[in-house]
Amino acid sequence: MDILAKILIYLVGGAFVLFAAVAALILVLGLLLALVFILQLFGLLRRVPFNYNLRNLFVRWPTTLLTALAFTMVVSLLIVMLAFVNGLFVLTRSSGQPANVLVLSEGATEESVSSLGFGDITALNQHPAVAKDENGKPLISWEVYLVVNQPIDRPKPGGQKRRFLQVRGLMEPEQTGRVHRIGLYPGGSWFTQAGVQAIPGKADEQAIQVVLGEGIARTLGQDKDKPSLQVDDVFQMAERSWIVTGILQSSGSTFDSEIWAKQQIVGEKFGKASYSTVVMRTTDAQTAKQTAEDLSATFKPAVAAQVETEYYERLNTTNLQFFYAAVVVASFMALGGVFGIMNTMFAAISQRQKDIGVLRILGYSRWQILESFFLESIALALLGGAMGCALGMAANGWSASSIISSGQGGGRSVVFKLLVDGKILLGGLIFSLVMGNIGGLLPALSAMRVRPLESLR
Amino acid sequence: MFESTLRSLDERIMAFLDSPWNVVLAALGLFALVLLYAWAPYVRLVVKSMRRNPLRTLLTGSATFLLVMVITMIWSVLWLLDLVTAERSRDFKAIVTERWQIPSQMPFSYERILEDGGATRRGDVKPQNVMSWQFYGGTLDPKKSRENLVFFFALDPAKVLTMMDEFRDLNEDEHLEMQKMVRAVQEDKRRIVLGRDCLKRINKRVGERISLFSINYQGIDLDDCEIIGTLPEGRLTLFGLMHRDRLNNALDAYERKNGSPHPLAKKSLNLVWLQIPDTETYGKLAEQIANSPSFADPAVKVETASSGISSFLDAYRDMLWGVRWLLVPAILATLSMVIATAISISVRERRIEMAVLKVLGFGPTRILFMVLAEAAFIGLVSGALSAGGAYLYINKAMGGLRLPIAFFPPFRIPLEALWWGPTLGILTALVGSIFPAWSARSVRVSQVFSKLA
Repeated sequence: MDILAKILIYLVGGAFVLFAAVAALILVLGLLLALVFILQLFGLLRRVPFNYNLRNLFVRWPTTLLTALAFTMVVSLLIVMLAFVNGLFVLTRSSGQPANVLVLSEGATEESVSSLGFGDITALNQHPAVAKDENGKPLISWEVYLVVNQPIDRPKPGGQKRRFLQVRGLMEPEQTGRVHRIGLYPGGSWFTQAGVQAIPGKADEQAIQVVLGEGIARTLGQDKDKPSLQVDDVFQMAERSWIVTGILQSSGSTFDSEIWAKQQIVGEKFGKASYSTVVMRTTDAQTAKQTAEDLSATFKPAVAAQVETEYYERLNTTNLQFFYAAVVVASFMALGGVFGIMNTMFAAISQRQKDIGVLRILGYSRWQILESFFLESIALALLGGAMGCALGMAANGWSASSIISSGQGGGRSVVFKLLVDGKILLGGLIFSLVMGNIGGLLPALSAMRVRPLESLR
Repeated sequence: MFESTLRSLDERIMAFLDSPWNVVLAALGLFALVLLYAWAPYVRLVVKSMRRNPLRTLLTGSATFLLVMVITMIWSVLWLLDLVTAERSRDFKAIVTERWQIPSQMPFSYERILEDGGATRRGDVKPQNVMSWQFYGGTLDPKKSRENLVFFFALDPAKVLTMMDEFRDLNEDEHLEMQKMVRAVQEDKRRIVLGRDCLKRINKRVGERISLFSINYQGIDLDDCEIIGTLPEGRLTLFGLMHRDRLNNALDAYERKNGSPHPLAKKSLNLVWLQIPDTETYGKLAEQIANSPSFADPAVKVETASSGISSFLDAYRDMLWGVRWLLVPAILATLSMVIATAISISVRERRIEMAVLKVLGFGPTRILFMVLAEAAFIGLVSGALSAGGAYLYINKAMGGLRLPIAFFPPFRIPLEALWWGPTLGILTALVGSIFPAWSARSVRVSQVFSKLA
């Protein structure tokens, strides 16, 4: 690293540390003032002329509005970005079962790179920890996971020409549904043992049977100008016709973006004869944890076993990076907003020097002046923050697609919904309060130092 | 001495004049200087106005600085993505991958046939150059812990400097260093080169030897890999490069030892790059390959590099849309509002001054332009400082922005950002100050003085 880079790092690092220290100090002071305000509310301390400050916000409404709008923008964007990340977090959290053990090939970080074809692993079927259904059949799912490239029939000009579809080949779909606790919507059925059927109305043409996640059914429906594909609808993939036999009740999980079909058929079609994943249901989370550890340590041939929820938790690595990026962008924008509110408050104080002088002569002390102007900036921030929260809430339920990955290459595309919850809204409000605090305290300190007689001269 | 200085100066001037853009820019600069001279009294007035409340100027400038910096960073990422997904018409690459499945896994024998572009008849076209890519992931410990995972591209070293865009714009020293490393890997296939971040992550140094325990080729562990160097700054920082023969020889050895080929022996080729001179050749080549019976199991597809990258980026489509059409406009709007607040306060405080200026003979339009110029000046200076600062800090100190977007290396701020910053600063300042400036223009002298009286 050359000298210039070192100088830059020290300069920016130094400025950052200095700013962080000042901001921390201001925040502490702000908290103290908030405590004082609470004591005033209970009548334990003398109140400040807050009504005067509120009226001033109304009188100077264009400036108030502009400053609040800047806050609105920052907070609403923060909420949209957090709703995106939250939607992905909730998706991965809802995808795994704590009592399930997911077995991949040794060293594989994701299903897409796992291949269990390096030895005989059928012994897993007899593993004592595997729970059994009411008929005494082991609750175990043998799966092959593939990502298939599908050219889009009629691409929009300038739009995407193809998409990647996630296909899961299964031995016994009903059993897999039970292991993953996913059922079908009424009117649908699991694919048959044969896995193929004649297309209705075209008796001589065979199609591969599939069940679709709700999200992917909607995506594929767009190609046929329908809101979603339904049972008996046919679509094309890899030069074959595929017919829908059922729609999974998979909303809110990664299975929402998947196509399930007969393992032998997809394995042969795409040249992947071995399994990529085995999912075993155990009796409870503790047994699952113990079983995963035992399998990873002792099973031959070597495999990588983990509790299913932990596997999906690891797929959040990319999501975490999105989260950090969102926080960095929001912080930069917030600093811009802080400078905006500082401008407004400094201007307000310089215009109201005489008012401050009168208040001091009326008997209000320095700290009461400090607090009243500080509360004015907080009120301004709250107004902008509340508007930002209201605007950001509009993003709740927006459908989006993204990628989740453990950050080791690979990754899977998922369809999910942006989720604005109470925690995010509270976070947005706190964020705006912090902005108001940092931006308002310095001007309020300058108001405190106004000398009454000089200001009235 | 004097003569050589003159000659060098002359050469520089001639080189400068080679580009018509330089001439246009120089002319514009000259024109701006003339204008500045002609309007010097107004410029002085604008600067004085800004100096009257240095705190407000500083705060507005700081807000502009920060917000322009965020936009510069975001645009740099979008700009690079647009650049790599834009179709070229000449000297581009085609990518051959498995037709239906991701990740693509083809037999290595395809590479030999693709060298001829699948040509079978007279008049068939051939690519100018070919490069095969094989992916190998291995950990440093036999327990295969994720923290020790290194992802390698197994390549023909001879093609690294001729085919890979990453190494096109190396400076002389870096180029020589890369050439040295390529020769070393050719001489001894056990040698490997790692990206800087990768080396840091696994806590190893150049000169050390490591063993790799494969995660994607079970049983293909590679011993005694000597780290002979690091890739130049900013290039493939998270990955490593190895000789493709090292992997292929290990696959052959597996068959000799076990009596049967490795399960992935016929799936070891992940993608092939073909260098193509123009779109016409690309069309012919794509047709030849698509129709060739040699590529039946598995079938392959040919696409331009830009199209292939576009497909991978498709997973980020919604996020990039949001960044492009929600985030950036919202930041611009925030910036405009911050500037609008500052300028409107400033105008409100100076209504008497505006009235006096009118009395002195300044027309409304001139007052409007003075207010606009004040905002534009703050935007220009802050924008230029911001873009310049981002360029220096992110490129020089941080080595680029590390974002989890596909296999992209850290995103660097392009030279173009140096004009984005000032332009953005000026434009948002103008948008933000137009209403306050209009209100300054409309100040009524009689009203202001009657209030004073």
